[in-house]
Amino acid sequence: MDFAKLKRRLYYWIHQIVNILLRLMWHLLHVTIHLCYFAINIANALESHLISKGLLRRYKSLHISKLQYLAIVIESEDCRTLNVIELLQWLADLGVKHVCLYDMEGILKKSKDFILEKFDGATLFQENDVLLDQPLMTLEFASFSDGKEAVAKAANVLFMKYLKSGSTSSYQGEQIFTESQMGEALKTVGGNGPEPDLLLVYGPARCHLGFPAWRIRYTEIQHMGPLKSMKYGSLIKAIYKFTMVQQNYGK
Amino acid sequence: MPFSLHFSPTPLITAPSPLSKPSFLVPYYHTLHAPKSPLCFSMEHALTHQGKQEAFDLRPEDSQTLPLGLRRDAMPSHVAVIMDGNRRWARLRDLPVRSGYEAGVESLRKIVEICCKWGIKVLSVFAFSSDNWFRPKVEVEFLMSLFERGMQEDTGIFFRENIRISVIGDLTKLPKALQELMVNLEEATKNNTLFQLIVAVSYSGHYDVVQACQRLALKAKCGLIEPSDINVSLMEQELETNCTEFPHPDLLIRTSGEFRISNFMLWQLAYTELYFAQSLWPDFGEAEFLKALLAFQQRQRRYGV
Repeated sequence: MDFAKLKRRLYYWIHQIVNILLRLMWHLLHVTIHLCYFAINIANALESHLISKGLLRRYKSLHISKLQYLAIVIESEDCRTLNVIELLQWLADLGVKHVCLYDMEGILKKSKDFILEKFDGATLFQENDVLLDQPLMTLEFASFSDGKEAVAKAANVLFMKYLKSGSTSSYQGEQIFTESQMGEALKTVGGNGPEPDLLLVYGPARCHLGFPAWRIRYTEIQHMGPLKSMKYGSLIKAIYKFTMVQQNYGK
Repeated sequence: MPFSLHFSPTPLITAPSPLSKPSFLVPYYHTLHAPKSPLCFSMEHALTHQGKQEAFDLRPEDSQTLPLGLRRDAMPSHVAVIMDGNRRWARLRDLPVRSGYEAGVESLRKIVEICCKWGIKVLSVFAFSSDNWFRPKVEVEFLMSLFERGMQEDTGIFFRENIRISVIGDLTKLPKALQELMVNLEEATKNNTLFQLIVAVSYSGHYDVVQACQRLALKAKCGLIEPSDINVSLMEQELETNCTEFPHPDLLIRTSGEFRISNFMLWQLAYTELYFAQSLWPDFGEAEFLKALLAFQQRQRRYGV
């Protein structure tokens, strides 16, 4: 046989074999990674189960008093009222006293009466309520209109006060509004509740979906995954992690 | 015979098809993606005998600039970073706190370089918060001198690499010399277009909202707008992040394992993917940044739609 032809055939077969081997290695790598993540998910599920059964000593005693105000952000698409009620029940069992439920489109706000009726361990949070220990859980319902829209309305309130004051300042360098004035204006328009200590996000994306921004300066944020996959053990773990946090507040 | 391998891994979170309904609440809409099949494989034959060559699947610029797994079409336009952990980094190594900050500056330089390379248009960094003024005076003075030194030393790089610098925050509290330097640098680089670095100094989210209200009030007083016109959209235009084409970060990275945003860009982060990295800022390098970007690209984001 012609030597050149033989050489070309040899190269061809080497390429084919290497190609197949590389593909095999690639698929093996994929399988390995999937198995790793599968194992991690199994471990997380097992841990969650052990936590919920009270078998892990670390999570047995939560310093729940550190959690003054809890906010829960739920993706509007995932707002299943029965899941929400179950979640509230878990929180009540853990001793959480003040909860804010937020979803962007206000679905939870619309279901407020239903939720309060079905979950009889709660009352509606009133704006002037102080965060004290109460026998019943207080529930606040918030939506997008309590966030950016409320700030825009508060800006209007501030401006009207500024006009009435007859102030003559006209250059941008001078401070005419303060943060506390903004806080007061937000209270006037009904958009300033307490600052949550912890914010739990139930949804596919790890973002707070427009929760009133003014209130989450130093709020711990934990992503919990979709609401339909919520686990009691994960909830305890998230709260436990929060109670272990030390904040410097920038200092 | 050189071989090249290109792949996009299958998602670990299955993304349902994106909803197409627009919403007035949504500033813009990202199309979500279902990642491609796991393997795109190509091989180059060096059959010099016949001079044949098989075409690569990769675009040459992709193979040179983007790591495996990252998709150029899904890169975030604006990444924000809370550079936390400099002091802890120094303490862990029994070094003075200033060493931690200096290491942090080096880390920032590397990340800026990576952003330029990978096509991220804007990087915002939380360099100094309004709350940081309460830190020890010596530390604050060192930080001010570090900012001044850093900006002076890197001016040449900004021009050479076509980087625009913007500074946001209450600059009136800064030393006069630093204020002047920042203003001059902003002015001098305002026409640079490749990449924008936004440095937040003496900044807080509360401050940003209040100063936006202030600007609107002054405009209304001068008759430029009607008081009843003050709405969410006008507020957005007056925030300090109006210095960029992409005012809302797509991705926020906070280092050092803390899970909060600490008064940074409160308004702007409504739909931002939040990524909390465990490593301290001076240790946050290319590998960690890549992890954050991969997590971003795999996450399902609906922006309220």
